[in-house]
Amino acid sequence: MASVRKNPNKIREGSVVVDIILYAIALVICLITLYPFYFVIIMSISSPSEVAAMNVVWFPKGFNLSSYELIVRDAKMWWAYSNTLIYVAAGTLLNCLMAVLGAYPLTVRNLKGRKWIVVFLLIPMYFGGGLIPSYLLVNKLGMYNTMFAVIIPGMVSIWNIILVRTFFMTIPDGLKESAFIDGASHLQLLFKIILPISKPILAVIAIYSIVGIWNSWFDALVYLPNEKLHPLQMYLYRIVVQQSVDLKMLSLEDTKNAVANMLTNIQLKYAIIVFTALPVIFTYPFFQKYFIKGALLGSLKE
Amino acid sequence: MKLRKGPKNYRNRYGKGKIMKTNSQPGGRRSFHLRENAQLYLIMLPVLLHIFIFSYIPMYGIIIAFQDYFPGKPFFSFTDTNWVGFKHFIEFFNGPYFGRLMRNTFSLSFYFLVFGFWVPILFAVLLNELKNGIFKKYVQTASYLPHFISNVVVAGMVLSFINTDGIINTIVKMFGGTPVAINTEAGYFPAIYTITSIWKSFGWSSILYLAAMSSVDPHLYEAAKMDGANRFKQILHISLPSIRPTILFLLIFAIGSLFSANSEFILLIYNPMVYETADVIGTYLYRDGLLGGQFSLGTAVGLFISVINFALLYFANTLSRKYSDYALW
Repeated sequence: MASVRKNPNKIREGSVVVDIILYAIALVICLITLYPFYFVIIMSISSPSEVAAMNVVWFPKGFNLSSYELIVRDAKMWWAYSNTLIYVAAGTLLNCLMAVLGAYPLTVRNLKGRKWIVVFLLIPMYFGGGLIPSYLLVNKLGMYNTMFAVIIPGMVSIWNIILVRTFFMTIPDGLKESAFIDGASHLQLLFKIILPISKPILAVIAIYSIVGIWNSWFDALVYLPNEKLHPLQMYLYRIVVQQSVDLKMLSLEDTKNAVANMLTNIQLKYAIIVFTALPVIFTYPFFQKYFIKGALLGSLKE
Repeated sequence: MKLRKGPKNYRNRYGKGKIMKTNSQPGGRRSFHLRENAQLYLIMLPVLLHIFIFSYIPMYGIIIAFQDYFPGKPFFSFTDTNWVGFKHFIEFFNGPYFGRLMRNTFSLSFYFLVFGFWVPILFAVLLNELKNGIFKKYVQTASYLPHFISNVVVAGMVLSFINTDGIINTIVKMFGGTPVAINTEAGYFPAIYTITSIWKSFGWSSILYLAAMSSVDPHLYEAAKMDGANRFKQILHISLPSIRPTILFLLIFAIGSLFSANSEFILLIYNPMVYETADVIGTYLYRDGLLGGQFSLGTAVGLFISVINFALLYFANTLSRKYSDYALW
């Protein structure tokens, strides 16, 4: 990656004016990209009357956190939050485990029928049954309207298997051979020797899986009519898209809080949007290198 | 290890220890092979089983596109059912929405390709020209951010921005214009979809280009400068040619996705008033097929679009094999 190199462009000195223009363009692009987030945040913390009058464009006007106070007291939101944590934890663990189990045998050269297995794995990457047959299958398996419907069908990613396999191939054969001389079985070799040195690739898969599951909502829409099982994104969907959850109901429950009653619906929506996006916004700069690694690995030919 | 170079030993290179043990028993090498393979297949079994159940059974389930399936009937049955041939396909082709769905599915993907394809290229070239590493890193981080924000969050923001009293109309009013109902006017939908999609993806898509450009030998630029090439010429003759294969490859495969508008996102931001320009195969399939309970029709529509997509991908792959030396298969 570009950031890895120390200062490769040192050589490329040119006109200062051009430099300034280029920096200005980059800055503008950066600001345009970030503005929507910024706007949502300043709207959510401005005073309700200014928000209602749509006076907030560049800077927050007034300061009011009552929308957040209200959101934080929303038991349904916390319930959805905990559901999401369950989906993320279970889904990520299973994804990593399945990728490792699927990848290892493919690295053993004398595996009989390896070619057929690879074909078996590759076909579903390009062709699938589609939404409705999958839906009927999940129904038939009795997973409809259970947590399993969003965890189980997505727990194997063929893409991840290929990534892990590519990584396993780079492990020196000597390491594997010495394990066999010590009498290890394939399973022991995999879990005691290969897995501990595979942390870099597992981190990539885990991060992708965490963000993917955190952001997913469509499976829940299709498979989970029971609102108690909904992940956070689905709760947000009901608020901002379906508009079937009225957050103002929260404030009406305690009429003592006059400020809360003044809150506009839009401000509450912005507050919950911030609440949903925050974990990703705050953590992703730290994991950025894994994401980039994954993107570049994925572009290599297997 | 050096001793085991011969082809005979090569076959068993992972099983040396085991061979030494099993060779003393009757059955010898052959039984070992069976056992080793069985062990490996056992490790893979959960994965193979999962793929069989969740990928291949739904593929087999496509047969209901040629039947009159309704819930309660035997599951994906081949015998105990009435076959209707291509009835559902014909129904779909002659239906009132066919033209609209095909047009929208194609044009939304096409707009994204035409207006969005070059954005990450220009962005990557721009970043490559920046000298300050820290500033560059911040710009990159900021540009990747939208890629990691969920569709629901983005949709929530977009919907509130295009609302009659949203930020866009506020700005329109600031400049003395009259507010428009952006969210219910079908004419605006393609623009909203395209702009949002570009915003969400341009930064992330620039990664491959940046990676390709970072492998250019800096001395090339030095030499060009000595020959009197200015910044623009350096970009034109060094930076851009260095990412030419990447551009070509990504462009070819963009052809393969000309009928895959992001229906999961459209589902979030459209409404019945903009169906005219917003309804695509994917959203129709969800609405009429799944919610409407027309399982056979929905499966037929799904099959139709995956066949188109696969044909396009096949075409793209053939092109790519010919022109960019890269092929998926």
